[in-house]
Amino acid sequence: MTALTLEALTKIFPRAGKVVDSIDLKIEEGEFFTLLGPSGCGKSTTLRMIAGFEEPTSGRILFDNIDVTNDPPNRRGIGFVFQNYALFPHLSVFRNIAFGLEVRKVRREEIRKRVAAALEEVQLAGLEQARVDQLSGGQQQRVALARALVIQPKLLLLDEPLSNLDAKLRDETRGVLRVLHQSSRVTAVYVTHDQDEAMAMSNRIAVLHLGRVHQVGVPEDIYERPATRFVADFIGRNNVLDATISRISEGELVVRFADGSEITVDPQQRAARLEPRVGSRVGVCLRAESLQLTTENGLFSGIVTDVEYSGPFRSCIVKTGLGNLKVEVPSTAARPSRGDHVRLAIHSSAMHLVGD
Amino acid sequence: MKNWRKQLSRNLVIVLLAIALWGYVVGPLVATFQQSVTGNGGGFSEYAKFFDLRKGAQGESMLGSLVISLLSVITSAVTGVFLAVLLKRWDFPLRKLCEILVLVPIALPPLMGVEAFVLLYGIGGTFPQIFASLFHTNLNRFAVDGISGVLLVHTLTMYPYFYLTVAAALEQSDDALEEAAYSLGASKFQTWTGVLLPMLTPAIVAGSLLTFMSSMSSYTAPLLFHVDQVMTQQIVIAKLNGQLGLASVVSVMLAIISVAFLIVLRMYEKSARYSTLSKGGARRRRRVTSPVWKAVLVVVASLSTIFLILPIAMIFLLGFSVNGSWRRSPLPSQYTLQNFVSLFTNPSSWQAVLNSLEMSAIAVAGAILLGLASAYAIARMRFRGKTVIDIAMMLPWALPGTVVAMNLITAFANPSVFALGRVLVGTFAIVPLAYFVRFSPLVFRSTAASLAQIDVGIEEAARSLGANWWYAFCHVVLPLLYRGIAAGALLAFVDGVGEFVATILLYTPKYRPLSIAINDELYYANYGTAAAFGVIQVLLVLGVVIVLRRMDDRESTKGTVLS
Repeated sequence: MTALTLEALTKIFPRAGKVVDSIDLKIEEGEFFTLLGPSGCGKSTTLRMIAGFEEPTSGRILFDNIDVTNDPPNRRGIGFVFQNYALFPHLSVFRNIAFGLEVRKVRREEIRKRVAAALEEVQLAGLEQARVDQLSGGQQQRVALARALVIQPKLLLLDEPLSNLDAKLRDETRGVLRVLHQSSRVTAVYVTHDQDEAMAMSNRIAVLHLGRVHQVGVPEDIYERPATRFVADFIGRNNVLDATISRISEGELVVRFADGSEITVDPQQRAARLEPRVGSRVGVCLRAESLQLTTENGLFSGIVTDVEYSGPFRSCIVKTGLGNLKVEVPSTAARPSRGDHVRLAIHSSAMHLVGD
Repeated sequence: MKNWRKQLSRNLVIVLLAIALWGYVVGPLVATFQQSVTGNGGGFSEYAKFFDLRKGAQGESMLGSLVISLLSVITSAVTGVFLAVLLKRWDFPLRKLCEILVLVPIALPPLMGVEAFVLLYGIGGTFPQIFASLFHTNLNRFAVDGISGVLLVHTLTMYPYFYLTVAAALEQSDDALEEAAYSLGASKFQTWTGVLLPMLTPAIVAGSLLTFMSSMSSYTAPLLFHVDQVMTQQIVIAKLNGQLGLASVVSVMLAIISVAFLIVLRMYEKSARYSTLSKGGARRRRRVTSPVWKAVLVVVASLSTIFLILPIAMIFLLGFSVNGSWRRSPLPSQYTLQNFVSLFTNPSSWQAVLNSLEMSAIAVAGAILLGLASAYAIARMRFRGKTVIDIAMMLPWALPGTVVAMNLITAFANPSVFALGRVLVGTFAIVPLAYFVRFSPLVFRSTAASLAQIDVGIEEAARSLGANWWYAFCHVVLPLLYRGIAAGALLAFVDGVGEFVATILLYTPKYRPLSIAINDELYYANYGTAAAFGVIQVLLVLGVVIVLRRMDDRESTKGTVLS
């Protein structure tokens, strides 16, 4: 088991510019750590630098306090799982999984045993002699997993491993992955743009945007207490409204919206980095599922312009004086329809402030 | 240790590539240019002579080359597109057989193939004799000679540039597109002009550029049909007259035109192409129901096919004819196996075959090294000047063989660093060197194409599993590239064995290659012996095609590269 440290890791490409901008991270032994962000945020480049496929422009990479920044990938002892599997098309399933062991000159008998065990673990026992193109996408990805894990890597690096699979297979493979991680306790770094996937799998998540880390934390933190406006926008179905702090007093913080209306917010419900000062601009996050439709004394009033039914809840767009708000109502609670005049209420503890 | 070993080996590869390309490709071209401005008179006086239409025939030859090339594009395009539409759109009896046979002319050997046209359609040839006796006229009334002869050869050897690309485009096109046009109210004519022909445009443009370049390079057809007013002929004539300055001027002009076309072609290939957006549309051939129409199709297709394969058939027939048994009748009168027996028993014939095999093999070994290294460097490494290497690598492919030979003559007539301080002109080595220069692009192209199919991730996967670069290259990249390399190398090898255009300027009688042996036999009108050599060449090409097909089949049952 290995801990991973990134120190001021930076990558500048000649054309694209600063893709990774001075990232500092410490990933603990045995942790399942996710780099989450939209495409182009630098998450894959970071992972590829950890693997040694890209050379950092500056900064250091430490495996258990040993500097590996300049080691080639083959000396790092990592397992890498690719989005498109990257199985060797000219080799059988057995030879694919055995590849890393053959390089390490493991004895033949032992290779056979370890490959069989690895196939067992990914539920593909007996498929040793199959050709990789005979397998389904999900099976191919599991072979790729077995190939990466059979060498007992210090680090398991996964680059969007599920994104080429269809929804059902993705859930299945997610389960396989979680079990494998729990049984091997290998330190895993997982890259994805899918927040559900990140929430479901990770011990901790780092949210990246434009090459910078916006927030590191456990899934609950990221979801309930976004650190920046970007995280608030990116995670969940948040409405982020512009406002200005108009009054601060003991245990109370009042913000004013563009239309002059004011609401009171719990000062604890704010991003740690936000230093509240009267007059400073903030974003008020109202999660779609925290907003409730009421008939009297709500905070906002508006007209329902669109309703989408999706089983457990209905998603509505409510047009208010502050713009369109996304609202998710449990299907059992109410039946809004287009054109309804509604009022929206929210519990003050469900509101959250982020910096501008 | 800051990756200095990786840096070093990477830079070493690039420097070696640059040296090889400079020494054997770009440098010799520059040498020819230098000679063209420093030759007798100096400065640009030779160029003034070239463009002075009153004094020399050389400037006229440029016009001649351009006109012939333009006409060749038109005739080849008509032939190729006609055949593609005929064989790919309708279904009729004998179609499958015709589809195979129309590709046979690709196996036509370079020198003997053109001679077959002369013997079939030229002065005193088979058809002029038949027609003369049919219509009781002058023997050569119907004989083809001069420019029309050259055009005939160009058309029947270059139509595959159009046929192959247009046939592929037609096969990829989706019936639904046509049906969509009809459903929107277009007439049959409007559908053709508005939908089908525009879809074929990329194929036709690419075919035109290729045909134009090949026609500009063409040397053998003008030689055998007595057309002096083309640039390739003028280079050789000037060189044989000892006017090296003039020869290099024409070479430079021809090189400029060829390189311009290379650049246009590359730009065109890079610009967007039509790819069918529709998915999974099955293409059905038109079933022909009307018996009259069916008969017409069968007759037209069969006659065209027979016409196309006649030259090859002629070579086979002649291979079994007794030397000198022919000239007063449409076809040879006596037949024998002796030509093939003496080919293997006559030491000087057999030696020519061995010489060519040896020269070509040496050249291909070099071409594999250079082609593989440059394809890999361009696809997988980041460095400055990549485009320069790419263009330099494809340059000899665009240059006519005559120009390549001229370049090597100028560069290696004196001791050169790139020849380890020796003079290469007049030695064995210059011929394989020319083959190496001419055919490296073939290996480069097919290797680069296979490399483009291999996901970079596969190499990275190997590295992440602990393989060093060399291990990953040998155990993962090479096995996957093997087919691409073999395809390019085999084609280069076959081309080398038959090469005539550069050879005639470079060979030394002591090491007489196959094409020169054929040329000598033709000089003495020993058609039987020459054709026997030709048959060997055709069989060699067919052998290679079969080997490649086999590899393809094995590949397709094994599954192609996953991406």
